[in-house]
Amino acid sequence: MAEGNDTHPDIATLSFEAALAELNEVVDRLEGGEVPLEESIRLYERGEALRRHCETQLDAAELKVEKIVQGRDGGVQTAQFDAE
Amino acid sequence: MSLVVYTHPSSHAHVTPPGHPERVARIETVDGVLASAEYDGLVRRAAPAADDAALKRAHEPGYVDAIIAAAPTEGSVALDPDTHMSPGSLEAARHAAGSVMAAVDAVVAGETRAAFCGVRPCGHHAERARAMGFCLFNNVAVGAHHALATHGMDRVAVVDFDVHHGNGTQDIFEDDARVFFASSHQMPLYPGTGHPHETGVGNIVNVALGPMTGGKAMRDAYTATVLPQLEAFAPELVIISAGFDAHVNDPLANLNWLDSDFGWVTTEICAVARRVAGGRVVSSLEGGYDLEGLADSLRAHLDALIAHDAAG
Repeated sequence: MAEGNDTHPDIATLSFEAALAELNEVVDRLEGGEVPLEESIRLYERGEALRRHCETQLDAAELKVEKIVQGRDGGVQTAQFDAE
Repeated sequence: MSLVVYTHPSSHAHVTPPGHPERVARIETVDGVLASAEYDGLVRRAAPAADDAALKRAHEPGYVDAIIAAAPTEGSVALDPDTHMSPGSLEAARHAAGSVMAAVDAVVAGETRAAFCGVRPCGHHAERARAMGFCLFNNVAVGAHHALATHGMDRVAVVDFDVHHGNGTQDIFEDDARVFFASSHQMPLYPGTGHPHETGVGNIVNVALGPMTGGKAMRDAYTATVLPQLEAFAPELVIISAGFDAHVNDPLANLNWLDSDFGWVTTEICAVARRVAGGRVVSSLEGGYDLEGLADSLRAHLDALIAHDAAG
């Protein structure tokens, strides 16, 4: 079963860039085939925790952008953050 | 006819280091299931040992010699971070491969429609010339080659529902159009291979299942891809690499299949075998590391094989 971020407490302190970089490294290692079978699932679960951390940070950034837009418009409308 | 089950005491003598998931307790669990009263009617046979010639049909001759030479007389030898040999491992591996050969003989002779090999070490990660992922000899590949070489078969299928890609079986048969190989597995996960674009000479089917996708994604993939392609290949024999580590409780993966999913996939593979392969089905144990999950999903698998054996 996938584990929550509480089993990877260090991840909460990572910046978005650092977490994304480590996530890319995890994916490369899993796809590279050199990770032992027994370690493979733990590495996947760390990758999953990193992905959730990145998503949480993106969601927080999206809320900030919405707030900024709301402020400019005088508090009536909000605009969705668009990563594109 | 009745389902024939092959086991061997040497499966208990393959001892892995403390804490290793592929442990003796797994085969004790399998033996415990097979000993339960509901399976009193099964035919029990001792698995014979595969000789060097049989092993060298599937593996590089030098690799087989190297494994024989690597067997320790005491202690333990690590072939890679996952894969270990104890003094009893070589004999266990010979009987594990030999069990699939004997099972092939039994179904080809018409002694039974289906046979199950409850043996270890598992085999599907063992490549032509490389031990890995707890596997020494590729049991199903040795069995498939035995069917081709000694029974004059032209078309043999291997279907692998272990949660990890059967890279060894693919490696051995990816250039051999006489053998169809289909593997469903979690991705990303060990060993990193098994992308759908890996198709061999048109004889390989890889189904990559995402983590946490559960039994429905598996059933959809088998219904849309694996089962139709298996049927189109029209094998004379179907060999199943029966790993039970896609089970929801397994510590090494996250596909979250239920017992009933193992019953379903076995039933469906057997139905294809009845339509195109004279019903000939041989199943061989691969992974499965949660002992309770292993026992429960193995029962579902055996019940489906028994129903297949009895089907008209």
